[in-house]
Amino acid sequence: MSGHVRQGQTVQAGRLIGWLAALVVLWSPTAARAETLAGTPEVRAAFVSLVSGVYQLNAEIDYSANDETAAALRDGVKLSYDIEVSVTRGRRFWLDAQVVAVNLNRELSYHSVSERFVVKDPLNEGDPQSFASLAEALQEIGRVKDWPILVAAQVPAEECSVNLRSSVRRGRLTGSLRVLMFWSDDWLLRSEWYSWSLPR
Amino acid sequence: MVAATITTRRTVGLLALGALAVIFALVGLSVSAENSAQFERLQPWMLLGSALAVLFLALLILRKVLQLAAARRRGAPGSRLTIRTVTVFGLLVALPLVTVYLFSLGFLNRGIDSWFRVEVKQSLNDSASLSRGMRDLLLREHGSMAESFARRLAVLPSGEMLVALDDELEFSGAKEIVVYGQYERILGAASRSVPDSLPSRPPAELVRRVTDGGTFVSFEPLGGDNFVIRAAAPVSMAAPGPLDARFVVATYDPPSRFAELTESIDRSRSTYADVEALREPLKYSFRVTLTLVLLITMLAAIYGAIHAAEVLFRPVQDLMAGTRAVAQGDLVTRVPLTSSDEMGFLVQAFNDMTRKLRLASEENVASRMAAERERERLAVILARLSSGVLAVDQSLVLQLANEAAGLILGADLSAQTGRPLGEVVAGDDRPRQFAALLAERFAGGATEWRGQIELVGDGSTQSRVLACACVPLPQAGQQPVFVIVFEDITRLLQAQRDAAWGEVARRLAHEIRNPLTPIQLSAERMRRRLLPSLRGPDAEMLDRSTHTIVQQVESMKQMVNDFSEYARAPALRSAPFDLNQLVIEVADLYHAQEPAIPVETVLDPRLIGFSADRGRVRQVLNNLLTNALEALDGHRPAAIEVRTSIIDTGGVERAQITVSDNGPGFPPELLGRVFDPYVTSKPKGTGLGLAIVKKIVDDHGGSIEAENRPEGGARVRVMLPFNPDGREQAAGERRSEVRRERA
Repeated sequence: MSGHVRQGQTVQAGRLIGWLAALVVLWSPTAARAETLAGTPEVRAAFVSLVSGVYQLNAEIDYSANDETAAALRDGVKLSYDIEVSVTRGRRFWLDAQVVAVNLNRELSYHSVSERFVVKDPLNEGDPQSFASLAEALQEIGRVKDWPILVAAQVPAEECSVNLRSSVRRGRLTGSLRVLMFWSDDWLLRSEWYSWSLPR
Repeated sequence: MVAATITTRRTVGLLALGALAVIFALVGLSVSAENSAQFERLQPWMLLGSALAVLFLALLILRKVLQLAAARRRGAPGSRLTIRTVTVFGLLVALPLVTVYLFSLGFLNRGIDSWFRVEVKQSLNDSASLSRGMRDLLLREHGSMAESFARRLAVLPSGEMLVALDDELEFSGAKEIVVYGQYERILGAASRSVPDSLPSRPPAELVRRVTDGGTFVSFEPLGGDNFVIRAAAPVSMAAPGPLDARFVVATYDPPSRFAELTESIDRSRSTYADVEALREPLKYSFRVTLTLVLLITMLAAIYGAIHAAEVLFRPVQDLMAGTRAVAQGDLVTRVPLTSSDEMGFLVQAFNDMTRKLRLASEENVASRMAAERERERLAVILARLSSGVLAVDQSLVLQLANEAAGLILGADLSAQTGRPLGEVVAGDDRPRQFAALLAERFAGGATEWRGQIELVGDGSTQSRVLACACVPLPQAGQQPVFVIVFEDITRLLQAQRDAAWGEVARRLAHEIRNPLTPIQLSAERMRRRLLPSLRGPDAEMLDRSTHTIVQQVESMKQMVNDFSEYARAPALRSAPFDLNQLVIEVADLYHAQEPAIPVETVLDPRLIGFSADRGRVRQVLNNLLTNALEALDGHRPAAIEVRTSIIDTGGVERAQITVSDNGPGFPPELLGRVFDPYVTSKPKGTGLGLAIVKKIVDDHGGSIEAENRPEGGARVRVMLPFNPDGREQAAGERRSEVRRERA
């Protein structure tokens, strides 16, 4: 289990300012585009179940892929498949209060010698799983089973809702290289928020 | 000045702040580019700072450019020069910078592209292919081993399976061998390590493969340098043995060196892919940084060029502004001295020049003012001068005339300058006569002369004698101008004549009166002694002769008395009296004497308080009326008018007595001398009547004029001061006038 509270709002604000500055100074079309990534992820089904005082998430997400995706993977590119889950409490005349927010980050890569697609899943004790085909790997990545997201004691008395969104992006780089992706970090596709009421 | 200093300090402060910000941004960009940990945190702020610096510089330059354009439009001094210099400086700065920028961009792109050579990628791919060949070899070998074991397993009795598994484990070097039965049930397994759990469920693809009767081999990564070779083969189903085994799965560890290299190759490929994906962002990052540096450098250089041009040309602008001010007459302006170089020397020279110009101008103004004061003083003197002053050119065109000249010539000359003197508008022809006489003098070639000019009266006015002096004015290169100073000396001459006649009368009276009495006594004695003794014609002759002698002596005595009366100057006994009443008395007396001639009186009732010697005024009236009656002798219809009035002459009130008749008037040739003794047109007159009248009037400080009336007849006007004060004033004026005339 590796869900962690989302951070990095300061980084996001700084990035926004940087973008504005870059736009003011110079506009230049960046070469990097999201062609490598196929269609937008789609959450097919999701629900939570209360098991022994723990809310567990089960979800089915459809990650599509195309030849470019496979080619990029075969060239050594790593793709990151993230699932953002938040439980919020609705408030009148104000923004919703966040009860909890967790992320699940899975990584898909291609091993060139074994010619297998390797999935690193935190829910799977960190041991990579390898698949002979991309479809099998994506099917495995798109399935979430019994992911504990919330303890019942954390849930307030008011009505709460569960929100889920998945995204696919280029795999995270090391620090020295990630700074340069500041300019073209647009290998990112996100699904719509998938929301439902938290069962009691 | 204070405001300018504050503005300059604010500008310098802003510039220093901007320069610090720019240096900070540039250094930050450089440092953060080297330190990746700082980069992500500082990069946005560095970019924002640099962008703001660019914006700040652009706004400063825009402001300067607008100021220069405005200065150029209003034609400010030096603006054109500044714009030209800024343009040249800007081009000199921009062209090399842009050139270096473009070359740098080219080098940058080529340099970064060279990092991602095709050979590197190809070698990585080749390495992977080589590894895959090795992997395939391993897989075939282990697949064959699995197939061989499966074939043996098919015929093996059930009790020997475990032994066979151990043997195979030992023989093949496998990590684990598992025999699966129907429904993937584990029939047996052998492992090199003590298992802590059951063998994992075989992958679905493996099951599908062996179910289809094929052999399955895979090289699976387990994370890091760990790999596993999984080989599965179906147990022959043609003759199912007692074991009912379906397939066997064996896992092997690949050679450790192979595993390490495989992982290294894969990691290198992955890293290369990451780096290759960063090629364009890297270029873009460098492009942005380079562009920012270029913009900041170029804009700062252009702004510096503008500022330098302004500083450089400020003395020139000041000089131009000063020159314009001097050209417009402002000689007080001074150009501020800002440096001690050649420009400072120029400014100093300009200031010296304006100072000298100012001094010269001030001297000129002072001279003009002095001349103006002199002119005003001269004008005042001329206006107050009793002598007439004229300035005419050779053609006698009037250039200048004072008031006295107009009074003497009977014309308003000051309003008629520029006209020929002979054509000025006047009440009589005095100016014309004067011009004609001047023309005669000029025609004779005289330019500087003195002399008397007599202006003859026209019958209604008396003649005047003017003492003139003419002096030419030096006029360099122009028509000569003559200044003519003239004085009416008619009164002076008259006074001289009067004095001479008075002296003659006094002597005559004295010299004649003395022998007259002895003559008369002798004649009477002769008559008394001889007449009784004579008879006949002798007695008659004696009687007639002595009678004639006595009569003539009486007549001569009367004449001597008249002379004596004329000559003597008794003290005036002034007292107030009613002049109108006196006029009425005298008029009635003469009317009674000659009833045929009406004497009309027109009297001014304001004549109250008139003071004079009543007896002598009566004599004046007697003489004037006697003169009028004698003039009207035999002239019918005859009429005499005596009119009294008050006139104001120069602020002094005078009583005026006018005696007019409708007789023949004064002969024109005598008009100027009717008040002289022995001037008469009558056969019986002594010619002393009007002379005595004039003497009495003069003694009273008055004046008298004789003229012929236009409608016929004579008119004599007597003007007497109203009281002794006025008389004193008039006498003073007369004395001073006489003094001036004598001078």
